[in-house]
Amino acid sequence: MTSSFYIAWRYLTFNKVRTATLIACVTLIAVVPLALEVLLAESERQLLSRAESTPLLLGARGSALDLVMNGLYFDDEVPELVSMAAVNAVEDSGLAMPIPLYVRFHARRLPIVGTTLDYFDFRGLAIARGRQLALLGEAVIGAGVADRLDITAGDTLLSSPETVFDLAGVYPLKMRVVGVLARSHTPDDLAVFVDVKTAWVVQGLVHGHQDLTRPKDPTVVIDRTEANVVASAKLVEYTEITAENVDSFHFHGDPDQYPLSAVIVVPEDDKSGTILRGRYLEGERLYQLVVPGTVIDGLLANIFRIKNVLDAVILVVGIATVLALTLVFALSVRLRQREIRTVFRIGGSRLTVARLVGAEIAIVLAASAILCAVVTLAVYQYSGDLVRALFVR
Amino acid sequence: MGLRSWLTVFVAIVSLGWSLSSAGERLVVYAVNYPLQYFAQRIAGEFAEVVMPVPPDMDPAFWQPDAAIIGDFQRADLILLNGAGYAKWVSRVSLPRRKTVDTSAGFSERYIDTEGSQTHSHGREGDHSHAGTAFTTWLDFHQAVEQARAVRDALSRLAPERGDIFADNFLDLERDLLDLDTRLAAIVAREPDKPLIASHPVYQYLVRRYSLNLESVMWEPDAMPSETEWQALTELREGHPAVWMFWEDEPSAENRQRLLQLGVQSVVFDPCANRPQTSDFMSVMSNNIANLKRVFVQEIKN
Repeated sequence: MTSSFYIAWRYLTFNKVRTATLIACVTLIAVVPLALEVLLAESERQLLSRAESTPLLLGARGSALDLVMNGLYFDDEVPELVSMAAVNAVEDSGLAMPIPLYVRFHARRLPIVGTTLDYFDFRGLAIARGRQLALLGEAVIGAGVADRLDITAGDTLLSSPETVFDLAGVYPLKMRVVGVLARSHTPDDLAVFVDVKTAWVVQGLVHGHQDLTRPKDPTVVIDRTEANVVASAKLVEYTEITAENVDSFHFHGDPDQYPLSAVIVVPEDDKSGTILRGRYLEGERLYQLVVPGTVIDGLLANIFRIKNVLDAVILVVGIATVLALTLVFALSVRLRQREIRTVFRIGGSRLTVARLVGAEIAIVLAASAILCAVVTLAVYQYSGDLVRALFVR
Repeated sequence: MGLRSWLTVFVAIVSLGWSLSSAGERLVVYAVNYPLQYFAQRIAGEFAEVVMPVPPDMDPAFWQPDAAIIGDFQRADLILLNGAGYAKWVSRVSLPRRKTVDTSAGFSERYIDTEGSQTHSHGREGDHSHAGTAFTTWLDFHQAVEQARAVRDALSRLAPERGDIFADNFLDLERDLLDLDTRLAAIVAREPDKPLIASHPVYQYLVRRYSLNLESVMWEPDAMPSETEWQALTELREGHPAVWMFWEDEPSAENRQRLLQLGVQSVVFDPCANRPQTSDFMSVMSNNIANLKRVFVQEIKN
């Protein structure tokens, strides 16, 4: 038996290209469904753990999935906006703690998350370097942002225009990075956190400029009445908030109407959560209060339906590959007629030939299995990062 | 050592441990002005350390904390805001919403908009109001009671086991505040139409609550007004013949003297926004009422 494996081994190592091709075929056909299984399990774990740790999410009526993907995973698709009045309504109910979220703008392609300090406590996010947000215009970045952009506390970060054609839009805001969060292995690692008021500065709703009642350059004023001053486009708004100009930053309009993309709602207890959900189911309300876990369950059900189709495809491809491999071995037996005749001449039987071919197949399968295990283990090892990079963010 | 001695030692150790743990559980409360600090300290007593970190020589309404002090606010168990736009710095910093209580939110619909505010617009597409809100809300002592009640509720939510103590302390404070209210109302009732002038527009809630006939100028106690401002005062008095001017703080001798030459006496009514050096909120308000008594019962002395 050992001699059969030795001869098979020598044969396979002599025909390196053919052997490598065979091993690659078998490995691929085995590793694809296994790796997919690992990645899907990790996606499910990540998506569900994030969703299940967020009791309720309030947003405008519309796609619940967009709302959850934006509010929890900072997806680029911005749902219909709600206003701060929605936050105040939840707070006034006394049933839950609202945490506003405004996830709409970006800084170097990474999401700017406007929120309040309660978010950090709620998610258990700790500052690893620097300090927590304190003043308007400051930012705290996730560990992944710090790595990717090679910035840390003390550096600055510029917000990006919403579109490249937004020539008449607001000026980018130069934000001071004051802290870096400890790595959490969640989408928070790849987010730029600012106070929600700073997000409104990015949008231009809160801004600062020279005092129009006493302008340094009188030509910026194009009309003045006792009650109102009209400034021209020449009036430059500050693009960085400093100790010198922070007092000039002011809110325009009713702060209750300032926009948000979502509100995390943390009920006092289960009963409070149920009462709140009931309230948002009533009548023609403009808002929806969703349970992120349920929404993500629905998403995962769809993903697993797709996975079933994918499994069927892989099964068909697998059968085809097995048939092809059988053909390869059958043809190789025909091509090796001279070798087989030599085996017979030196006293070998048909069983010997079968043992030789069996040993070759066993070695190829064993090599493929080892390779498959290594790749699957590697995928498993890095599944968290892979999923965050490929699917979740 | 007998059983009684052991028992005594055991009780002493338990008492010491209990008192140490009680001391360790003191709430840390940060307030944006002195009235709120005073209310919180009266209500919480020994169970809270109430901090108002504004330096004594600054007006808390216009003070700007640095990042370190904002960090102290963030770490507190409770942050007491006055509301009504008081302390504009609050809108430009990050504070945890969960710990923050706007003590005047309960009567926000009764806020007084300040006059003379100017709006501005960026281009022709619509203007934006920068109208202000009168913020010395506690000068209406009924509103002060409501603010104190908000403080009590917030403290009770944080330490429900001490809710009864907070409720009792609040009742004492309420009694004192309502006593001020009664005394003030009784004094003003003697001559409700008496024309008065305030050196600064900070008495809006006092005026509304006690129906004072008071007009304001914009003077500072320690700065000599310009001739234009003196002229404006003269013009104001033509239609509003006041012989008393309220000041937030003791006016300079020059101001007092020149006003006397015009037939106007000076009297201090301290809003007590910052911590008094030697007394407390109640003493300052009692002094204010005593000063007001002079205004309403005495004739002008030239």
